[in-house]
Amino acid sequence: MLAVHQDVINIVQAKFLSAEIVKSIHLNVSALDETYNDDNRILALVEYNKTFALFVLISARKKPISISDLCIETVIPIDEYFSCDTEPIEESQSHIIFIITSKKIKLQFKIEIGIESSNFASEVIRSKEVSLYNPPVFVWLDKYIGTMSQLNRNSDLGEQSDTPIIRQRITQGTTAINRESMLKYQLKLKEPEFTEKQEFTIFVGTWNVNGQPPSVSLRPWLCYDESPPDLYAIGFQEIDLSKEAFLFNDTPREAEWQKYVMEGMHPKAKYRLVALARLVGMQLAVMINSQHYPYVKNVSYDTVGTGLLGKMAVWQFGWSYITPPSASVNCHLAAHVEEFERRNQDYKDINARMNFKRNPIAIKDHEQVYWLGDLNYRITDLTTSQVKTLVARKELNKLLKADQLNQQKERGNVLLDYTEGDIKFQPTYKYDLNTDIFDTSEKARPPAWTDRILWRGKGIYQVEYRSHMDMRISDHKPVSSLFKSEISVVDPLKFRKIHEDLLKKMDKYENEYLPQVTVDQTEVKYDLVKFREPQTREIIIANTGMVPAEFEFIKKLDETSYCKDWLRIIPYCGSINPGETCEVKFEVTLETSLQNIYDILVLHLKGGKDMFITVSGDCQRSCFTSSIAALCRINVPIMQLSEEEWRLAENNESGVLYSVPREIWLMVDHLYRYAGTVQAVAESLLLFLSYTKDPVIPFELHDTCIAAASNFQNCRQIILQRVPDLHRNVFLYICMFLQELSKYSNDNGYDARTLPLYSVTSCSGIRYVTRSRKTAGASRILSIISS
Amino acid sequence: MSAGPYNYSYIFKYIIIGDMGVGKSCLLHQFTEKKFMADCPHTIGVEFGTRIIEVSGQKIKLQIWDTAGQERFRAVTRSYYRGAAGALMVYDITRRSTYNHLSSWLTDTRNLTNPSTVIFLIGNKCDLEGQRDVTYEEASKFAEENGLMFVEASARQMGNRGDNVEEAFLETAKKIYQSIQDGRLDLNAAESGVQHKPSQPGRNNLSADQQASKDNCAC
Repeated sequence: MLAVHQDVINIVQAKFLSAEIVKSIHLNVSALDETYNDDNRILALVEYNKTFALFVLISARKKPISISDLCIETVIPIDEYFSCDTEPIEESQSHIIFIITSKKIKLQFKIEIGIESSNFASEVIRSKEVSLYNPPVFVWLDKYIGTMSQLNRNSDLGEQSDTPIIRQRITQGTTAINRESMLKYQLKLKEPEFTEKQEFTIFVGTWNVNGQPPSVSLRPWLCYDESPPDLYAIGFQEIDLSKEAFLFNDTPREAEWQKYVMEGMHPKAKYRLVALARLVGMQLAVMINSQHYPYVKNVSYDTVGTGLLGKMAVWQFGWSYITPPSASVNCHLAAHVEEFERRNQDYKDINARMNFKRNPIAIKDHEQVYWLGDLNYRITDLTTSQVKTLVARKELNKLLKADQLNQQKERGNVLLDYTEGDIKFQPTYKYDLNTDIFDTSEKARPPAWTDRILWRGKGIYQVEYRSHMDMRISDHKPVSSLFKSEISVVDPLKFRKIHEDLLKKMDKYENEYLPQVTVDQTEVKYDLVKFREPQTREIIIANTGMVPAEFEFIKKLDETSYCKDWLRIIPYCGSINPGETCEVKFEVTLETSLQNIYDILVLHLKGGKDMFITVSGDCQRSCFTSSIAALCRINVPIMQLSEEEWRLAENNESGVLYSVPREIWLMVDHLYRYAGTVQAVAESLLLFLSYTKDPVIPFELHDTCIAAASNFQNCRQIILQRVPDLHRNVFLYICMFLQELSKYSNDNGYDARTLPLYSVTSCSGIRYVTRSRKTAGASRILSIISS
Repeated sequence: MSAGPYNYSYIFKYIIIGDMGVGKSCLLHQFTEKKFMADCPHTIGVEFGTRIIEVSGQKIKLQIWDTAGQERFRAVTRSYYRGAAGALMVYDITRRSTYNHLSSWLTDTRNLTNPSTVIFLIGNKCDLEGQRDVTYEEASKFAEENGLMFVEASARQMGNRGDNVEEAFLETAKKIYQSIQDGRLDLNAAESGVQHKPSQPGRNNLSADQQASKDNCAC
């Protein structure tokens, strides 16, 4: 049959992951549903890890030719609720109705009778049988349920490996936080590699001892089975009914009973007490075969009291064994027939209020939970004699239907998700002391299965569930259950190796996923740098790493900026995606007197390394940016001076040759002679005055000048007495030139008001400090003098 | 404060210092990647590596800053000393000059770190026994006089001292951890070089608010 539709199977298979195998399909299925009658449907049986599901796909054509023709309509897991059936169609010989039911879903399809349909049906039935043997897990279906009846998804069909997740997480730059959870996740994935399932026999017992002291050996109860269990969980209720016991929560009886327990355990093995928890006449002891004892970890317990003093007390005990934490709960719920709601509430209270201190997880989140105790649920609606009769006639089934726990559980009111084995023993309450005879006292309580053991979790198999009639000292009979439970046992060697490998892998990833960039050069060299002639160099930062790299030039220790005044970095920060590059411009502009430029820039990657980029170049000597005093000492263009001559001039060690710098005289002279076509020279003069190493009016006089601005005499005095000679010369020289200029204001359009303002900024030499205010003052000085 | 079984409890900051070409980057690479990096280019800047180790059952994340050894970068790399819990000071046993410069490196380290910073002297390239220029005894004496831990190692991992690379990093961590246990190292001090919580690598001395002044003066 497979051969018939192999091409179509291949197309259908493409809708699924490769581990999800399309076992069988059925084409040309039409739904018996009026709305979508015409659609071509395909039924597909898909297997994943021995679990099966039936998919209903809608095909765009009768026979799909590509996976984009297919769309998943419905997913039905083949589990215990799944069933399928056929029904003949009256007027048709060729077609039958194929009915699929699962929980609330009932689907009916019309299919043609033939080899295809019989093959498909038998495959489905077979898969249903398989699913009965191993309880199926359908997590793998979740992803399809989300896509049902939506548009096709063609992507994401590849095999998933663990690494992309790590990479993605690390790429998001939150490695430090996610590392731990990633490691846990990775370990969880690898759990099968370092654990193995081991079967442990667990003896769970409960007994309400009705306040009686221990007086008989407990062996008939605890050693009921031939071979020794690996673990005992023994719960008692009503150890001591005296008032003192309730008031002080302390009674010698507990220790006595525990002694009997320790003595009564199986003689073929040695046991150690794992923990003992007590609460008002109740106790739960967990004992383990001493060979397993070293592997017990994270033992924790808590007790919860509910209800009125003495009426009921509930406590419980949690313990974690090897990998998955398990818990056992012993409880004694509210008494009396009519109090079943109270008992339900008690159960809820226990769940809500339990708090294991060492390992704070809820009871329901434990891998395996054993719930034992005097749950106190009774048999309803039957009289004592009716119950006794039914017990005598061994018609336990009728009685069990009247059992409150069964009824409440069925209604979902209590112990939902918990399983209880079939009860094949007669009610364990209430007996005349030291007999096997049900209560013959005046009250004549109807017998009931008050003492119960339930469980919840995977891998638990109940071997036997029984009561122990020969224990007669209480009005209750003890109950016990022997379980075979699968527990994942960690192989410490394997675990250590896998754990270490993972750590190394994470270290490696973490280093690999640090931002990485390279730059095409770490030495940026400039040609001779000249005054106000910008030069630009470019470096290329390439992201060679796996993650976006955020870069930024950062300042060095004790510096105020990430680069010197003469440099501009554009951009000085940014982000580069993996595989991409970013050009960074370094623009150098020289406006001060420097012999050379040199700086080491720190290029920092956020969350990563730093790189150093060295910027260097020689600077050309310039009369701009030189000091007035030095310029007055030279009689040739500055470039023609030897190093030594220039050094002497700069240090004011050579003789003064001019009263104003030669350069100023040349420019002013030019302006004077060639008035009219002098824009460039005029600008140069202004620049010159702006950039002299020290301003014409020295910095230290700026404030004085501002203060004196409104007073001509003061200004005059400052200029004549406090400004150094050469500077005063320059100042007066410029002023006289401006005065001269203003004489011709009719011709050149300048007047005393506009002219000084035009040049004053530089001429006054007041700069570097809030210009507007001081300029005004200085211009006043200037205008006064020039007038 | 309690760490899960897979978490790490501390972060220790390390710096690796020493002359150019003594093999600082190779030591880092050997430690983080367990590989010898032949033809390792000169570090122009500060490389960054990380690894998680275990000391006395505590997981510790090492953040290792491998600095450029060139003299011209010395002024800049001084920025990185601050807040180092451990300093690995490396010289090359085949080049005496790198050994002679140790006192200058040591001065920097003492001046720029805090008193509890653990300084570990590593004589690298001990696989090149034939070209040895500095005896073990001499360096050992120097270490002793200056209270340094000392080991000869080889990032190339030839010969039986290859494991000493691992040892140098681990012993440093042990000593730092011990300082914490003894209370000699104040965890609350910003410059202890030890952090309790995991965080992104970063330098505490170079702050982010640096561009403001630059932007203003670009007029």
